[in-house]
Amino acid sequence: MATEPDSVLSGDGFAAVGSGSSSPAVAAQAAPIVATGRESAPDGGVAIKAVGLTLSFGSRPILTDINTEIRRGSVTALIGPTGSGKTTLLRTFNRMNDKVSTYRHAGDVLLDERSIWHPGVDLISLRRRVGMLFQRPNPFPMSIMDNVVAGTRAHKMVGRAGLRQVAEEHLTAVGLWHAVKDRLKDSPFRLSGGQQQLLCLARALAIKPEILLLDEPTSALDPNATESIEGLVRRLVPDITVIIVTHNMQQAARVSDRTMFLNQGRLVEHGETRQVFENPHSEETARYVQGRFG
Amino acid sequence: MAATAPVVGPDGGAGVPLLRRAGDGLRAAVKGGSALKWTGRIGALVPLTALGFLLVVLLVEAIPALRYNGAGFFTKSVWDEGTGYNATIVTTGGVKHLSGADYGALPEIVGTLQTSAIALIVGVPISIGAALFIVERLPRRVASGIGVFMELLAGIPSVIIGLWGALTFGPILARDITPAIARNMPDVPVLNWFRGAVGNGEGLLTSGLVLAIMIIPIVASTTRDLIRQVPILPREGAIALGMSDAQCARKVTLPWVSSGIIGAAVLGLARALGETMAVAMCCGVALGSVSSNIYGTMTTIAATIVTDLDSAFLDGTGFAVRSIAELALVLMVITLAVNVGARFLVRRVSGTALPVGRGV
Repeated sequence: MATEPDSVLSGDGFAAVGSGSSSPAVAAQAAPIVATGRESAPDGGVAIKAVGLTLSFGSRPILTDINTEIRRGSVTALIGPTGSGKTTLLRTFNRMNDKVSTYRHAGDVLLDERSIWHPGVDLISLRRRVGMLFQRPNPFPMSIMDNVVAGTRAHKMVGRAGLRQVAEEHLTAVGLWHAVKDRLKDSPFRLSGGQQQLLCLARALAIKPEILLLDEPTSALDPNATESIEGLVRRLVPDITVIIVTHNMQQAARVSDRTMFLNQGRLVEHGETRQVFENPHSEETARYVQGRFG
Repeated sequence: MAATAPVVGPDGGAGVPLLRRAGDGLRAAVKGGSALKWTGRIGALVPLTALGFLLVVLLVEAIPALRYNGAGFFTKSVWDEGTGYNATIVTTGGVKHLSGADYGALPEIVGTLQTSAIALIVGVPISIGAALFIVERLPRRVASGIGVFMELLAGIPSVIIGLWGALTFGPILARDITPAIARNMPDVPVLNWFRGAVGNGEGLLTSGLVLAIMIIPIVASTTRDLIRQVPILPREGAIALGMSDAQCARKVTLPWVSSGIIGAAVLGLARALGETMAVAMCCGVALGSVSSNIYGTMTTIAATIVTDLDSAFLDGTGFAVRSIAELALVLMVITLAVNVGARFLVRRVSGTALPVGRGV
């Protein structure tokens, strides 16, 4: 159902996501070609990998010895009870935890076989490659148009003249273009919550990330907006690798190819979504996905 | 509320003494909120009444001066109460004044605007930078310690800062810093304002910088409190988008509270426009001329009022005092205009930028 084309999305929008997510050189072409060098199947290699990742805030351990591989071009759902560490794990992938003063980690996270903590890794370019969408919409205090191109502008990805086209392309991609095209100079805070979240998604897509982290992106949204976001997520793959944290089992089942179940900082199970939900290897997983705890 | 209702009692019956009934009435008024309502209404009128009263009194006091001084008050650079001991009393158009009285407040008006502008140009960026630094870079404990010092600085009597400016800061500027600047500035428009004689340290630049020091604690602590209120989510959004801390501050954090920062700057500007003692001690009180460069002696409206009031009282016709009232009226109008202007600015800024406010 959610994987069917959504009513707010035009076919053109879908195409724009495809070209938008590929490398800048490919983006110049009109056709929605999948970027070369990237497999299109859900099992197209490893996008990002955690190796013995152990993480704590002060003396409080959050993650314990996480070893996992996120498949390129797939949607991976991170599920688990509150406090299981799924959001922390997600935020580790683009080093959003670094600012927490008591944060410590051991082990490693490899993006393209290279540690994200390697001294040669530039934090800004890491975050350009690994984008993020948050629990609640967080538009910037600037016009709708400026919001979409905020990242593009910060990274000087296109000249001033090209900004409007970037905005149109990505607003179209998220199905928001027709709703806002006459008020691009307006405040984004006048949009509905769902529209604001779509705007934030357009903003995240505009810097052409390879991986997109979604931290319970629909938890503050109504069912219609949730459906739009879910439909979009399905259409981001295989061009973009998506990792989505969700509390909603149905959502995980609807949108993800693979599912990781975390409990108390441990990775309990990671496999094909169907297998995790229908035939879990672990009793713990079975109890959680059947709603018996958490 | 429902639980307290029985305590008030069933509306005072016949047997209840009169005094008690009056007391009940008062109590009911308090409980029912009508007393609060009326206190509130009267209270709300106080600022308006006080402002109106001040304006009217100043205006009445200044009317003779307005009539005699005319438009020249705003264009002439002279402050002459009349011909000293040989003065004769003259009546011009029904206004009594000393012979030769001639008042033009151009240096005062220009000086007030110049010192305040220097204070804002220097003080506001420093304040914003300091506020950002305190909130985002310093650990909480250090930040609160610095906050205490800022509030102490804000509370120092201006006469002390003025004394420091006149005895220490100004002379150091004139001896060690400004000569080099004055020598090396190219002789082109705007920049040639920084050339020429640097004097002894009494003057426009010293006054402006002293004012900047005085407004920094107010503007910085207000801005700091505003920045603390910016929610984490949009800032994280900027960081996650790969923006640098500076970009995040410029694009997200500061715009989020831009109208508040304008308000803080206006607060500082109001203080700078009206600041009297520190400027009077540092400016050199040159009543008769506008300084030709940024180092020259000058005066402001407030400094002139405080330094000239004494001799103005010696004018038996009272006209000098009336001219000072006119000066005060001008200062008041400038201050009000700045506030109204700021209000319009805030409204324009909050159009697209602010999450709260107009149209949301």
